[in-house]
Amino acid sequence: MYRKFVLKRVMYGIFMYILMILTFSILFNNVAEQTLHDQIEEQITQEVRAYKNMNKEQLVSIASEKRAQKTQKYHLDQPLVLRIFYRTLDTLMFNYGNATILKAANGDKEVINIELAYLPNTLILFATQVVITILIGIPMGLWAARKPNGVLDRTTSALSMITNGLPAWWLGLIMIMAFAYGPLGIFPSGGIHINPAPEGWDGVLDYLWHLSLPLITLVLLSIWGTAYLVRNIVLGNLQEDFVMAARARGIPERYVLLGHTLRTSMPAILTIVILGLFSSISGNIVFEIIFGWPGLGKLYWVAIQGNDIPVLMGTLAISTLINILGFVILDIIYGWLDPRIKVGGTA
Amino acid sequence: MSFRENLEGLGEFWKEFRRSTLGLVGLTILILFVLVGSFGQYLIPFPGATENWRNIDFWQDNPQAAPPVWTNLPWGTQAASSEFLTDAKTETDELDGGVKQQTWTINYNFTADQAPRDVIFAFAGIGQVPVILSVTRPDGKTIEVSREQMDLVEEQLTRFSVTNTGAGKVIEFIRGEDAEIATSMLADIVKPTRLLFSKIASDMETNPVMLKGEYVFTIKALYLTENSKVENPTVRISGFVSGLMGTDISKRDIFTGIIIGIRWALIIGLLTSLITVLIGVLLGVIAAYFGGKIDWVINRVYEYFYLMPIIPFLIVIAAIFKITIWWLIALIVIFFWSGAFKPVYGMALQLKEEVFVEASRALGASSWRIILRHIFPMVLPYSFAVMALSVPGVIVYEATVSILGLGDPSIVSWGQILHDAEGQGAVINNLWWWVVPPGLMIALMGMSFVFLGTALDKILQPKLKTR
Repeated sequence: MYRKFVLKRVMYGIFMYILMILTFSILFNNVAEQTLHDQIEEQITQEVRAYKNMNKEQLVSIASEKRAQKTQKYHLDQPLVLRIFYRTLDTLMFNYGNATILKAANGDKEVINIELAYLPNTLILFATQVVITILIGIPMGLWAARKPNGVLDRTTSALSMITNGLPAWWLGLIMIMAFAYGPLGIFPSGGIHINPAPEGWDGVLDYLWHLSLPLITLVLLSIWGTAYLVRNIVLGNLQEDFVMAARARGIPERYVLLGHTLRTSMPAILTIVILGLFSSISGNIVFEIIFGWPGLGKLYWVAIQGNDIPVLMGTLAISTLINILGFVILDIIYGWLDPRIKVGGTA
Repeated sequence: MSFRENLEGLGEFWKEFRRSTLGLVGLTILILFVLVGSFGQYLIPFPGATENWRNIDFWQDNPQAAPPVWTNLPWGTQAASSEFLTDAKTETDELDGGVKQQTWTINYNFTADQAPRDVIFAFAGIGQVPVILSVTRPDGKTIEVSREQMDLVEEQLTRFSVTNTGAGKVIEFIRGEDAEIATSMLADIVKPTRLLFSKIASDMETNPVMLKGEYVFTIKALYLTENSKVENPTVRISGFVSGLMGTDISKRDIFTGIIIGIRWALIIGLLTSLITVLIGVLLGVIAAYFGGKIDWVINRVYEYFYLMPIIPFLIVIAAIFKITIWWLIALIVIFFWSGAFKPVYGMALQLKEEVFVEASRALGASSWRIILRHIFPMVLPYSFAVMALSVPGVIVYEATVSILGLGDPSIVSWGQILHDAEGQGAVINNLWWWVVPPGLMIALMGMSFVFLGTALDKILQPKLKTR
């Protein structure tokens, strides 16, 4: 039963992914092909330059021969529908082609390798944010639910509303101004390590030092909403009969809250909290740019600045993949934590 | 539902709404925003700034990157603030030979502890006109800063900057007062405004004591020909602090930008959320009511847009196609309707099974009649709450696209002000007055809608549940 549910969710995610990549291929077909044409011409010019002792006519014929060869190799001689089909297929196989300008640290021009160089930083920032937010947010929400309308409860609901419409990158700018420049400048203003990068444990410490300011900013923004959500869910469950029964049995309030209520609220809490944070991962593009954090967001920026279409397309495909993957995994975890959900099938 | 019934319902709703502090606060802020957004052009200190936001000439008389006026703390040194003096008294005399002479006087009360950066005389006019510009100080002494024939071109502002071109005349004036002090002064090095606004003393160049009080700027024009004239003379004091929110690197008044930005934030937020909610509600009701294949298709489309990474997609589209603000709004609409869809879909699924719907169907009402007359009006109030809650997201999206420099350059939005701030080193140079206000406004506007939406949500949702 569960295996079938998982399989269904995975197949569905793959289907949606293919559909989106197809959309991108159609939408951005012109600009992608234009870039490919330019890249081919550049290659031919370079290759032809290598030939010596030839007259002009021979060179021209070699060039056109090569051009025909490459046009065929990249399917550019096919009708439009097939070209889009091949592009979709290439993108699905992570075959994003070569970057026009950007390079990975080792000089690699393959787009996929550039993506893989930037991706871990985004994931680390996101994962640490989620863990810390949950570790702080859940106890805060529980505490707020214990005394509804108390000081903490009011603070969390007010701050969750205020932070709701606050761009993370703006708070980032303020934090950089406050804690990276000026008298309180105890954090680096951006980047991922000092130059040259230290090695060993020093390197790890340096990385954490650079991670702290963006991380603090993100956590400052996300704990309030998280605590508020936890409070709402827990407060809803506290009205249930089994809580009353537990209290009637004389079980201490602390155990009622932690043992009974939290256990039943956990699936909803985890899903909704991670889902909420998850939507921030793609919203953090500007955030990464502000902090000079070399993740996917920064890569978008670099690609836009350099007009590097293949990298831009590749990053979009990776973002889409991460997005869908995240939702599918959340679905599966939720189904595991809360077996009732599997019956419904659609989430 | 008749009109009267609607009105009664509205009254009842208002009674309940009035009890929610949160809702009232949100509504008040929103009404203020709407008022300032509509009448902002009469409030801003620089009329015409909307069209001239990116016109460097329009802002040239402002100081560069000056902090707000209120950074002059009562106990600290008072820096001169920027002012536009437009209040001119004029009189016309007839000289011998029928030549007309027109004189304007503009008063300026100088109280700062530092001289302003510059004093600029500016006026429009036509023809070749001899103009005398002079300043009368509180100690009764008059300095003639310029006396020359000016070539005035229609609809073009003629400007005379004391700092740039008045140094020689100012030193001449000092020499007239006390020749010894003036010997060490060089026209290329002295700061003319500093001399102009300080007491005459031997160390006035290095350690000036400000001469506070009423200064009078005089503009005297001689009309040699019939159709020559001088119009709208102003004196612009370029200080070290400026306006309520200071100026940016391009000398623009940030307060003005913030006020202009309100209009676009409102248009983007309200328009987008209105359309998205209408689409979302309609599709939700249709999917729930008809069920079957229609339901399946709409739900798949919903999931498609729900799973798409919106911000990256918007950014790539904006970067490749260089879209206008209307295209951006259209794109946000395409993605945002999914927010209203799911809750309405759930509600409509319940409503569909209600007795009155069944009764209506038994009476032979068509599907569309039931949807539009019975189900749609019942979910619509709730959708206003969804709408209010989705506005902050929309505004942040526009700001996010704008801060990357991918916004529509024909409008002025808070995101674009932040883009300029970020790109022109506001953070490194600690020009906080350039970064804080636009973000606070985004947060404030988002907050007002969230307050409103939360209040609406609390009032409207239990009603539906109890039915």
